[in-house]
Amino acid sequence: MKKQWKKVVLVAVMLSLLLTACGSQSVPQNKISVSGAFALYPLMVRWAEVYQAENPDVLIDISAGGAGKGMSDALAGAVDIGMVSREIASEEVAQGAYGVAVTKDAVFGTISASNPYLEKILSQGLTQEKLAGIYLTGEITTWGQILGDASITDEIHVYTRSDACGAAEMWAKYLGGKKQEELKGIGVNADPGVLEAVIKDPLGIGYNNLNYAFDITTGKPVAGAAVIPLDVNENGQVDADEILQTNTQAVNAVSSGRYPSPPARLLYLVTRDQPTGAVSDFIAWILTDGQQYVTESGYIALTPDQITESLNRLK
Amino acid sequence: MAKAPEKVDESYNTEARKILASRQRAERQASFEFRALSTFPAVLFVVVLAVLLVRAWPILQQKSLINLLLGDVWRPSEGQFGFLPFIAGSLWVTILAMVFAAPVSILCAIFLSEYARPTTKALIKPLIDILAAIPSVVYGLWGVLVIVPWVQQSVAPTLGRWFPFLPLFNSSNPTGYSILSGALVLAVMVVPFIIAISYEVMRTVPRGYHEASLAVGATRWQTVRYVVFPRVAGGLIAGVVLGTSRAFGETMAVLMVVGNNPIIPHSIFDAAYPLTALIANNYGEMMSIPLYDSALLASALLLLLIVLMFNVLAALALRRATAREQA
Repeated sequence: MKKQWKKVVLVAVMLSLLLTACGSQSVPQNKISVSGAFALYPLMVRWAEVYQAENPDVLIDISAGGAGKGMSDALAGAVDIGMVSREIASEEVAQGAYGVAVTKDAVFGTISASNPYLEKILSQGLTQEKLAGIYLTGEITTWGQILGDASITDEIHVYTRSDACGAAEMWAKYLGGKKQEELKGIGVNADPGVLEAVIKDPLGIGYNNLNYAFDITTGKPVAGAAVIPLDVNENGQVDADEILQTNTQAVNAVSSGRYPSPPARLLYLVTRDQPTGAVSDFIAWILTDGQQYVTESGYIALTPDQITESLNRLK
Repeated sequence: MAKAPEKVDESYNTEARKILASRQRAERQASFEFRALSTFPAVLFVVVLAVLLVRAWPILQQKSLINLLLGDVWRPSEGQFGFLPFIAGSLWVTILAMVFAAPVSILCAIFLSEYARPTTKALIKPLIDILAAIPSVVYGLWGVLVIVPWVQQSVAPTLGRWFPFLPLFNSSNPTGYSILSGALVLAVMVVPFIIAISYEVMRTVPRGYHEASLAVGATRWQTVRYVVFPRVAGGLIAGVVLGTSRAFGETMAVLMVVGNNPIIPHSIFDAAYPLTALIANNYGEMMSIPLYDSALLASALLLLLIVLMFNVLAALALRRATAREQA
């Protein structure tokens, strides 16, 4: 009989442990979980650092996994905030996705710094039409076709993102109003993955978000990579205002609107239905005090009008 | 009820009966608990299957099964969901991986159990077990940094030059992110798994058989070939089949090196897009396009059924092997 009681007590203790493990929200701490776009990840880490230091009762948990994951996680209730680096689809709004724009960045074409035609590409730039020929129609297959030199027959090795993401959506939209699934090329997982593939492959071409293409500490493209300048006015050469050799030039080109949009785009925080409580407070802080970290982290600040609009979305 | 003829024994009898009753109660309870615990995984499997089926139902209703399984165009935003490139991708990568892994693993297991000296065994066995414990993303990273450039710069050009007439070695994909890279990474991942199973199977052959065989003058290899091998063949096949289903279900490491291009591959240097990678890559986008989530869950169902089939095959092989041994 005694043994029976021991067993009952043991089971009760184990059950109570199990239940407390589940009910940890009752601890007076606000836990905010965030997942999604690689584009927003570095800045979100900075924001969370500062916000947690100012509000010790808040714990922010961040993971990166592409815009699609951020959206799915937020809609499924797996996280409180999803980071989304593309427009929010009407199907997603219908399911309760509530987006607030918090900052801006852009997607840039990247090539290896050891590309044999680096100089020429940096001085001639690429037009939207040529990029579309590489990524959408597949008509352009050699570097010679890009540079207008038939004697160059080196193949272009095209890399794209394999995971559902905002960068690819924006790239496809820019090149011809298409979807990610229509981009040609070898699919590599994640933003750093594509960059790694391009750096290692002298004949490779890829695309990366602003803060993966440029190294924030040096302000230059990440070692081993080069950013492709876009020949926006299609005059066959890269003009002074089309150069994208440093982070500052890129940020200026985007904020002045000389760099086209897309691939420049707003970055959103998405919640399921309108945010409340700690989540709403955090987003509101991001839109006010948090904005001072935007430029230092290498992103493009929203205009005052856009900030007011975003803040109104929280009310 | 036992008779109680004498009064003296009455109290003793009641005591004994009490003890007996409590032991029986404990026995019943234990058997109930163990049964409940072991039923749980089985129930879990049925629940997973049911959920997948329910969630995949919309697309199974709208498209015919043949259309889904044999369609080779994957354009979800246009409502085209052909799974064939993904099924083909999974099969290519898995089969090639097993071509590399199975012989190596079985020979290694034979060496370890029949030839290796105890010190060698003590040294090699733990190392192989550690290989099995490395997280798959580490294998993937190693694949990107080492295998992909190696395939791109050495293997593909060399084989293409030596065998220009073999379509298997000719591809328009120059990047190294390919079926071969995926299969090599996968092979390294399943080798320790198959070695572990094969090694345990080989050790079930009683010591006396070896001794008898060696005593009549057979060499080690003859002993392995004619005494050990016939007894363990079924077990080895089961090990390889289990390894195959492990390879088929592996996601992260393969996804990182295989190129993720939804086309039907024709060469080991083509990019492929396995089923697992399809789910992992696109699970994020499934809310935004109609039927997409249903299509992805249908592919998950397909994956589950294929792996289930492998496991049933392994169980059958094992059963046949043990039956033969008893006969």
